Amino acid sequence: MRRAYKYAVLVAMIVSTLALALAVSAGGLGYALPFPAVRNLAYWYLRTTYNPFMPKFTASAPEAVTAIVWDYRGLDTLFETSVFFLAIIASMALMRGIEVKAPKSINLSKYGMSAIVKTVTKITVAIILAASASIALHGQLTPGGGFQGGATAAVAPLVIIVIFSLYFAVSSGIKKKSMLTLRTLGLLGIGVTSFAVIVAGLILGKAAYVFQNQPKEAAPIGFPSHILGVPMGGTLLFFNIFEFLAVAAGFTIVFLLLSVPEESVRKVLEGGEGHD
Amino acid sequence: MIDVNAFLFSVLVFSLIMNLGISLYGIFWRPSLVKKIIALTILGDTANVLAIVVGYRAWIAPNRPPIPPVLTTWKPTATDLSKFSSLAVDPLPQALVLTAVVIGLAVTVFLVFLTIQVYRLHGTTDVRKIAKLKG
Repeated sequence: MRRAYKYAVLVAMIVSTLALALAVSAGGLGYALPFPAVRNLAYWYLRTTYNPFMPKFTASAPEAVTAIVWDYRGLDTLFETSVFFLAIIASMALMRGIEVKAPKSINLSKYGMSAIVKTVTKITVAIILAASASIALHGQLTPGGGFQGGATAAVAPLVIIVIFSLYFAVSSGIKKKSMLTLRTLGLLGIGVTSFAVIVAGLILGKAAYVFQNQPKEAAPIGFPSHILGVPMGGTLLFFNIFEFLAVAAGFTIVFLLLSVPEESVRKVLEGGEGHD
Repeated sequence: MIDVNAFLFSVLVFSLIMNLGISLYGIFWRPSLVKKIIALTILGDTANVLAIVVGYRAWIAPNRPPIPPVLTTWKPTATDLSKFSSLAVDPLPQALVLTAVVIGLAVTVFLVFLTIQVYRLHGTTDVRKIAKLKG
């Protein structure tokens, strides 16, 4: 009976999907999906993202997505970064008191997988880091940016933890404290970059905005748009680099904390929770 | 007359909406916290795909597909720019989704930590048992 009910729900969902699709494609709403044109807002973004004929409006990045993320809707991304920051901080607060460290006098070669896997991993980690740096640093030219590059780079420590063991990762410098420092540096860099133009404006005595990238009509200063003939996107390059650091280091902290052995965590939890 | 491409595109849109329904069922009715987290990731990913689909545009002509919103020339002429803006898909949903993916991952990681700690302290991930815990 229960089984028949489940199948009935499944069939009803499939049939209603097909029926609704048929109704829309036959003109039930007055138009067919997808629309042949983008909205006016998207048209404006595409028109101005890299436009040498409109120097007061352009973000000077050939990649429209990165231009939107860090220029047109930069404040939005700043708050998303702070959500990311809070999520990582909350995870660390839940795991407070639990130390990520290797026992003294430990034979690291005894841990982890076989020599073949370790050798392949050494090569792969180098490739992962190179690819992620390329994704992050070319963010204003090709698809990619700080978020994507950082998430890709965080795979490297995860692979090292799985293949070589947590103790190897900790003893080779992937520590919670150093990653926290890197992450703070990244977030500090984002803050400094977003206030750089307004500070320069105060020094030079000109008007400027927070989060300003290129010179605007009422605020005639901004970051350089080209370096050696290559479009740099002004602030976009710096935002991408710093976001790359923050995201990669943030996820590395989480992976380190998630892979702490269960016994040592339980010891801390039982020691902390006195039953008296 | 029904256009086959429009029909298939509508099937995609409505199956994504059905997927949202299935993931909401998982979030509300499944008692295990782990299954709730899995359903939440399905919800987030479906919403992201739906946003990308909203930004898609139809083919202008049979041999003129839409292009990614990336300008491939560094010294564009006025024709290049108007061709680019008449063919490229909407970049705004892509920009929103790329941050949403990373934030979603961070929030999922936080929920995983929460569930692990609940399991370590109370030995269960069933919300019906967790609700009855005292102290």
